[in-house]
Amino acid sequence: MDDSARRLLQRIMRRIPAQMLKPTLDKWGRLTAAQRQSMDFTESKWALTEKLLAICEENEMTVKHITELEMIHVIENPDHCMWYALQLMDPEEDVHSVELTQFKEQFKSHLRELIRHVSIKIKKHTDEAVWIRIAWGDSFSRPNHLKPTYVVHHLQTPYVFVTSLTSKLKPLLSQALVLSTRYQAIKDASLSGRKLTAIRDLLMRQYQQVFPTKYPSPLAENDQNASNILINKEQAELAASRHQKAREAFGDGMLPQLQSAVYKLETKFRDHTNKTMTEREEAFRCVVKFASTNLLESLRHCASSGIASTPGTSLLSSIPLKGRNYFVITDNSPGPSSQTRQPSN
Amino acid sequence: MERLQSSVVRTPPNSTVVQRRSKSYRQSYRSCLGAPSRLGLTPGLTARRLNSSRRALKSHVITEKVNPEHLALLVKTEWRLSYVTPLHQFRHTQLKRYSRQLSAFIAAEKQQGVAMEVEGSQSGFRVSFSVVQGLAATDDDAETVLIQIYSTPVFARQDEPQKSVWSGWLTCINGNPEYLQSLPKGFTCLPLFGGSGAEVLTSLVKSWFQRTFDCCFGPLEINHTSLQWLAALWTNCHTESNLQHLKMIWTLPVVPPLQVTYTVNPQDAWELWMSVRKDRLERTEEEAEAGSIDIEEVVRFVQGLKSHFYRHFRLDLSAGNLNQVSTTLGSAKSSGKIKISNSRYMITTLTLLTECALLKMPI
Repeated sequence: MDDSARRLLQRIMRRIPAQMLKPTLDKWGRLTAAQRQSMDFTESKWALTEKLLAICEENEMTVKHITELEMIHVIENPDHCMWYALQLMDPEEDVHSVELTQFKEQFKSHLRELIRHVSIKIKKHTDEAVWIRIAWGDSFSRPNHLKPTYVVHHLQTPYVFVTSLTSKLKPLLSQALVLSTRYQAIKDASLSGRKLTAIRDLLMRQYQQVFPTKYPSPLAENDQNASNILINKEQAELAASRHQKAREAFGDGMLPQLQSAVYKLETKFRDHTNKTMTEREEAFRCVVKFASTNLLESLRHCASSGIASTPGTSLLSSIPLKGRNYFVITDNSPGPSSQTRQPSN
Repeated sequence: MERLQSSVVRTPPNSTVVQRRSKSYRQSYRSCLGAPSRLGLTPGLTARRLNSSRRALKSHVITEKVNPEHLALLVKTEWRLSYVTPLHQFRHTQLKRYSRQLSAFIAAEKQQGVAMEVEGSQSGFRVSFSVVQGLAATDDDAETVLIQIYSTPVFARQDEPQKSVWSGWLTCINGNPEYLQSLPKGFTCLPLFGGSGAEVLTSLVKSWFQRTFDCCFGPLEINHTSLQWLAALWTNCHTESNLQHLKMIWTLPVVPPLQVTYTVNPQDAWELWMSVRKDRLERTEEEAEAGSIDIEEVVRFVQGLKSHFYRHFRLDLSAGNLNQVSTTLGSAKSSGKIKISNSRYMITTLTLLTECALLKMPI
């Protein structure tokens, strides 16, 4: 087992939390029963790492085998890296006939044509998602397994999610993706976040949406804590309508856990109390960042508690509506215009 | 005749000499501010407690007046602020003695078992008190005192520079002259305290001061009015020193809490500020007013920023708390932390903070 394989294994062992070690190794399935027995999972992680290194030497494992282990871990815990969403555009006619084996072959061959030294591993996960691990090299050096890029693509949807990717390698990946999925172009979806499940759910609208109805169902049962009957009577209708509007704008139940949203505003300053600024020709430039442990939940609470008025007309409702969390707002386009994206943290 | 202590009821008029017979000898700071307290209640509106108008931020070139080493320390460090009640029998001439006493106090506390997080349990501490000359703005202000604590590792070499593990200062810049003059003899007023370093050392320094000079420390938060003042005063300086941005951080009280960071381009912020000033300058004819800034202008400036925000997001930022204001000239947090990154504006920022400290002090 060469040096890079050892380093990779050590790094993976550092990342996997202690309680996940046994299930991950079992899933990997490359240890014999006897070897599995010999691993005592009550020991310190350092000791276990040494043990595992010895076992891997014994089994004469290579880097390829170790990367399998990493992939298993990342698929189970995707929330530790920053994910960026991309969207494929302009499908060709035969886009629907693309299926897994065809995609795999095409992707590998296209990427290998574009860059000579690259290591690709493709795996289909249970929920229809295809996971790709890419280790990049160049004309002179072998693939660097310590800085891989992970790509997740749901077949039959135009969405792709990527982790760390330098700007040099992005066009290569984009090209390979476009050719193998039978689309014509790929663009930035202006959506990023740490939780893969959250940005996926937001983009593919896999959360409970509420559509506007003329006669909403009575929400009186939702209101607990009827402290003062008279106040309740006054406020009940207002509160119910605020709740309804909040749910229409942001959704019901559990919302995808986004952490932040960034708006770059380049609109004119308009305030009837300030004549000088309103007459100004140039835009008032500012950047607003919203951050929270669960951003959509916070925004929904703003709407239902009245801090935000008319959530439907505000820019905030664009987040779930358009499935993005980076916007550039100018006066010409009331909606977000497509621009180069800044990574949001 | 015994005069009662209660500061809320009696208001000695400003000009008379106060005669003290009883033990309660200090004139309340709030009573210095004038008549309204005759009603018996301290003024309720926050805007009226601070000066409602102040001179525009003047850039004082203090680099010549102040020791550059001291300046370098004061700038670029984030300080945690407290207010301090006047110190009894504090002498600027006795600083060496105080250094020794404080060192001994820290060593004694360490022996008693107070846990020190500072690295090297074997190391001792050396304390140094010094005077920062040149910061005091008026004759009534006491000179600023700087305290530094160095760690002296047991096995240090001769030439090894000592590491400063804690620093702090006490200051009074442009303190209210009526109040300062009304203090009885023997009291030195240095109401603003800033500390940076291990928390345990901060509390040791404070308890030593409390014991030695019979004073009281308390946390000084920077309320949203002061933060708005700083936002406006710093924006006002944009032509002299490039701000690079005006950043404000609000927290909205929803579940889970939402943090809004509103960063404005400095040129645009400055133009907004100037438009607010122009409106007001057009209305008043007095020339003398031109140099000073009113609270109303500050409020209108921040209100303008909030309404621009509201137009896009339909969120009223007044529903939240303003937590932080920062520019390249410095940053201020509502929890009571301040960082002054440019020595030119140190005097005016410290003036504002001295005022906050004097107001927060209990009687």
